[in-house]
Amino acid sequence: MLVLRLHDVVYGEVRQEGRFRIPDPSRDGFRMAVHRVSDRVVEWIFDEPGMAASRIAFSVSRAGPDGVANQELYTVDSDGENLRRVTGYGSITMSPAWSPDASRLAFTSFKSGEAEIYELDLGSGQERRIATNRDGQHYTPTYHPDGQLLAFSVHGGRQSGIYTYDVERDCCLTSLTGGRWDDLSPTFSPDGRRIAFNSNRLGVATPQIYGMALPEGEPDLLSPYLYGQGGYYTSPHWSPRGDRIAFHGRVQRGRYHILVTGAGGRGARVRQLTWEGNNEDPSWAPDGRHIVFVGERPEGTGLLVVDGATGRIRTLVEGLRVRVPAWSPSLGEPEEIRASRGGS
Amino acid sequence: MHHRSIPLLLIAVTVLLAACRRDPPPPPEPVGPSPEEIEQARQDSIEAARRAEEEARRAEAERRAEEERRRLNAERRARGTLAEVRDALTRMVHFEYDQSRITSEAEQLLREKVEILRANPEVTVRLEGHADERGSTEYNLALGQRRAESAKEFMVGFGIEPSRIRTISYGEERPLVNQSNERAWAQNRRVEVVVLSGGESDRDSDR
Repeated sequence: MLVLRLHDVVYGEVRQEGRFRIPDPSRDGFRMAVHRVSDRVVEWIFDEPGMAASRIAFSVSRAGPDGVANQELYTVDSDGENLRRVTGYGSITMSPAWSPDASRLAFTSFKSGEAEIYELDLGSGQERRIATNRDGQHYTPTYHPDGQLLAFSVHGGRQSGIYTYDVERDCCLTSLTGGRWDDLSPTFSPDGRRIAFNSNRLGVATPQIYGMALPEGEPDLLSPYLYGQGGYYTSPHWSPRGDRIAFHGRVQRGRYHILVTGAGGRGARVRQLTWEGNNEDPSWAPDGRHIVFVGERPEGTGLLVVDGATGRIRTLVEGLRVRVPAWSPSLGEPEEIRASRGGS
Repeated sequence: MHHRSIPLLLIAVTVLLAACRRDPPPPPEPVGPSPEEIEQARQDSIEAARRAEEEARRAEAERRAEEERRRLNAERRARGTLAEVRDALTRMVHFEYDQSRITSEAEQLLREKVEILRANPEVTVRLEGHADERGSTEYNLALGQRRAESAKEFMVGFGIEPSRIRTISYGEERPLVNQSNERAWAQNRRVEVVVLSGGESDRDSDR
């Protein structure tokens, strides 16, 4: 058992107290149990969710025995510990997305010879293919906050579009966007009423970020596109707080940096969070404050985490050829032992 | 004054008459070439025409021979040993940065593939689109797909059945050259052609 008291040193009183069941430190679940408790402390102090009890899914590229590069999915805890391989398909498997309860991962895999969407139950290890019965390559899945709908893009012929699929009822492919261009990398607002995505409808070399009300809104430009100047902005991810969207863009001298803008629409200020190397594929932590991304530095490529409040950057995973991370939602509450006394 | 001028005129006439009488009229100064020259020119002209004709015939024969050689080459390539066919069929097609447009160089390579596919109706292929490492991982999947589709569209435009051409994209995930410079990038922006069926038995006999 772990007993925690939060002291207010100014007023000289105990503001919160909690008793938590913690497995033996030698056991597997020990670290994560402590992370859950520390998130509770963050909640006590700031009345906001923490991000310690969370994992990051991503893919790692490695040359197979035949010299061809494959990618498998991995997860790592938010503190960089507990690196685990999740898939072993001997193919390219990438673009993971967490279900809102963090029990499932959806992703793109080429293991059938085509790019298709799969859903993996992390508890049982059971995996299934999302059979849309639609010709074309299926990329970039993301869950609707209800956990029932999966959105992804389908690319066939010269067309592409974003679709949703009901994974609970295993049916009902529904088109949200599409045309003779590339729409991809959808991300839902936390209330599920809007979607942001990436599209090159303005030109093949100038992808931009769009936001759209669901189910049938008109796409609005969210990235700082200037007519005649193009720009290259991709990989949007909607903050779990709902107010901002992170993405990456070509900034100066062909460098790619992590950018954040308001989710309200065009004209919102764009903030740059990285200033060196190349930086891609941001994903928000459940606290809506930290962002994990792929950072390319002279010393190597890895997963980095930036604290959006302070701008400080730390390394999460290094020494691996990492790709497209996805930060999980909170992995549950700590196991609190309700006692006669203690905090609310 | 009047009288003096008349003899002067007379003298002038006499001189003229005298001149006429004294020398026999010379043969008229020839205006054009002499008959010999004319004959020569005629012969020359005939000769030139003959030569030109011969030249044209030779050029035409050469052109025909060249055409025939090309046709035979194409035919040999198209119907040749699998190694040759495979070589021409699987020669990579490259693209410009961030583009899926077929360049004129790519067009020639694709036309060659069209010929081969026409001559080998049992062959089906997969076009694998690739992007260089710059830009976004996910966006590059779409870009690679667009390149593969653009190559397919070109071949279908020349009459190849769409069902014989599958497409896929590996984005930036399977570079040809694992380096970060312009030359490597140019090589990595490509469509590869993989023979799916229609060549297996030949491949065995080829070894």
